[in-house]
Amino acid sequence: MKTLSLTDLAIRYGFLLLMAGLIVIFSIAKPAFLSPQSAVFILQSVAITGILALGVTATLVVDGFDLSIGAVATSAMMLSAYVMVIWDMGAVAAVVMCLGMGALVGLVNGLLIVKMRVPDLLATLGMMFLLVGLQRIPTQGNSISTGMVLADGSAATGSFAPSFLMLGRHRIDFILPDLVPLSVVFLIVIAVLVWAFLELTRHGRVMYAIGSNAQAAALAGINVAGYRVLAYVISGVMASIGGILLAARLGRGDVASGNNLLLDSVAAALIGFAVLGAAKPNAFGTAIGALFVGILLQGLTMLNAPYYTQDFIKGAVLVVALVFTFALSGRVGRGRG
Amino acid sequence: MISRRTFAALVGSVALLPGLGLAQTAPAPLDNPGQVDIALVRYLSTGDFFQAYLSGVEKQAAALGVNLQVFDSRQDAALQADMVDQAIALGVDGIIIQHGLTESMKEAAQRAVDAGIKVVAFDVNVENPAIPQVEQSDRDLARLALEAAVADNGTEWVAGYVYVPGIAPLDRRDETWKAVKAANPGIQEVAMFGTLDNPIANSVANQARSVLSANPNIQVMFAPYDEFAKGVKIAVDEAGMSGQVSIYSADVSTADIQLMREPGSAWKATAATNPAVVGEVSVRTLALLLAGEDPGAQVIVPPTLITQAMLNELDINNMEELGAKLPAFAHADVAMAPWMTLPPR
Repeated sequence: MKTLSLTDLAIRYGFLLLMAGLIVIFSIAKPAFLSPQSAVFILQSVAITGILALGVTATLVVDGFDLSIGAVATSAMMLSAYVMVIWDMGAVAAVVMCLGMGALVGLVNGLLIVKMRVPDLLATLGMMFLLVGLQRIPTQGNSISTGMVLADGSAATGSFAPSFLMLGRHRIDFILPDLVPLSVVFLIVIAVLVWAFLELTRHGRVMYAIGSNAQAAALAGINVAGYRVLAYVISGVMASIGGILLAARLGRGDVASGNNLLLDSVAAALIGFAVLGAAKPNAFGTAIGALFVGILLQGLTMLNAPYYTQDFIKGAVLVVALVFTFALSGRVGRGRG
Repeated sequence: MISRRTFAALVGSVALLPGLGLAQTAPAPLDNPGQVDIALVRYLSTGDFFQAYLSGVEKQAAALGVNLQVFDSRQDAALQADMVDQAIALGVDGIIIQHGLTESMKEAAQRAVDAGIKVVAFDVNVENPAIPQVEQSDRDLARLALEAAVADNGTEWVAGYVYVPGIAPLDRRDETWKAVKAANPGIQEVAMFGTLDNPIANSVANQARSVLSANPNIQVMFAPYDEFAKGVKIAVDEAGMSGQVSIYSADVSTADIQLMREPGSAWKATAATNPAVVGEVSVRTLALLLAGEDPGAQVIVPPTLITQAMLNELDINNMEELGAKLPAFAHADVAMAPWMTLPPR
């Protein structure tokens, strides 16, 4: 095995080193940063964007892009609130309907792109606007909360099921009692599943093959259209899981466009390109990317940095990560590995 | 200014004296309200506050019997100015400008005034003496909430503060916070944070978690916007600190009431004006102008303090019950005239 040059080392481990350095700096500035609680809430703060980012990763792998995930997440949040508060149904119904909605939106996105030949960015952009509007129609633009007054003047009788709220609020004993929130467990489990699917299964490799050269993949007898639709379905389902966790944490259906969720998760997925010099969308990198943004933002908040500096630094990290990916590694184009 | 308004009302009633038996008859042109068209030109519309504001405008317009047309620019400042021109072209009698930017609205508002249209502005300064400003008093909101904080906690506490500069109502609330801090040196602000990334409550919760773990000695969180307070409450609950931290905020919604009433909730009080009432007042101010009366240069809708104890005692569960059980919240006695028909309660 040949020894790695300095540039290779920088490409491979630069980002992880940067992250370790940040942790050291923040811990010196604010010792509270290095507590188990602090580690857990950093994970919690990135759980939702992390799960969404894993969905984005699935579409990036097949050389696609899903702009609708933020809107899918907020639509799932509104839908779950609507199912429980207004239809007075239980947690299981809410979760199943949200996942179904996510899968359906993904399917429609996929079919628009594959069958109708609408470019991916345009199809999902249209879907984004459609959902942002659709989620507000049933409540005439109002947020959904328990006890809200309905259009006919009566008060809503349903409420958020305790088992549903648990999804976003329950904590499991781990080292310390009541330490790890369920949303963090979901993030870790989903990250491992997506990683295993993309890296270890034949399906995952086929998806990378499609991303790098769809025509060659088709000539090799791969069902390109089917896999691309699958990628959007995965993305839609991930986004709806994110929305369910959001609703469980907030305890209400909040009218929101989800644009920040979209931007943050895309940033995490793109930062992921740089991790371990992968230079391609990958689940491990995406999870690290989300974590990196989380560490930065939480650390800066502890140091009382105002919000606009945080946006600035988020942007700077993304630019640096993209430089790592495209310039230092000397490879171009997404999906090349 | 209140005396000026009372004076105007007095003049109005004196003018009506000869027809005392017909005290309910509105002056022209509102005696024939079916012929009166008014337009609401909005800059902000998404969210519970703006939704409730609109419902207040609609109800008061319906009570007066005038025709209302709503223009919604969805945060597009240039489009909002175009919409004022559109309303002028349609020949409306009155325009309510709801939020917007001074720079983009000033000239459009002047064009409307030049066209002989009566104009009222809500929460946007169009720098025009012919245009009365309807305002919810943000300084009073902050003052009421902070007075409650001082009443509950004394004058010596460690505070966290949620603030995003550059948003006019938050800036006005911030002035009061600075004044209260200056007057009470015992109040020690150890952290200031805030973001408007949506969903706001979720983003603020993430920030507040870091702030609480960096400053575990915080006793009071001043979050003068209910979305901020929601986020802080999530963080306080997650950190298991609801016994130690008290939250004071501004604005209220059904969801906020539920959160304040949760057992052991850290959210102790909020000060609010009813957005629906602000909407009603905007229309009434415009009606006064149309009738040739003077509502004054500024029409301020006074806020109400809503405490956790109040909500529990009166068993209030949503905004409607709040209005029914706290009369001060359901109606503001400003921009009134004897001939004015109020929406049914």
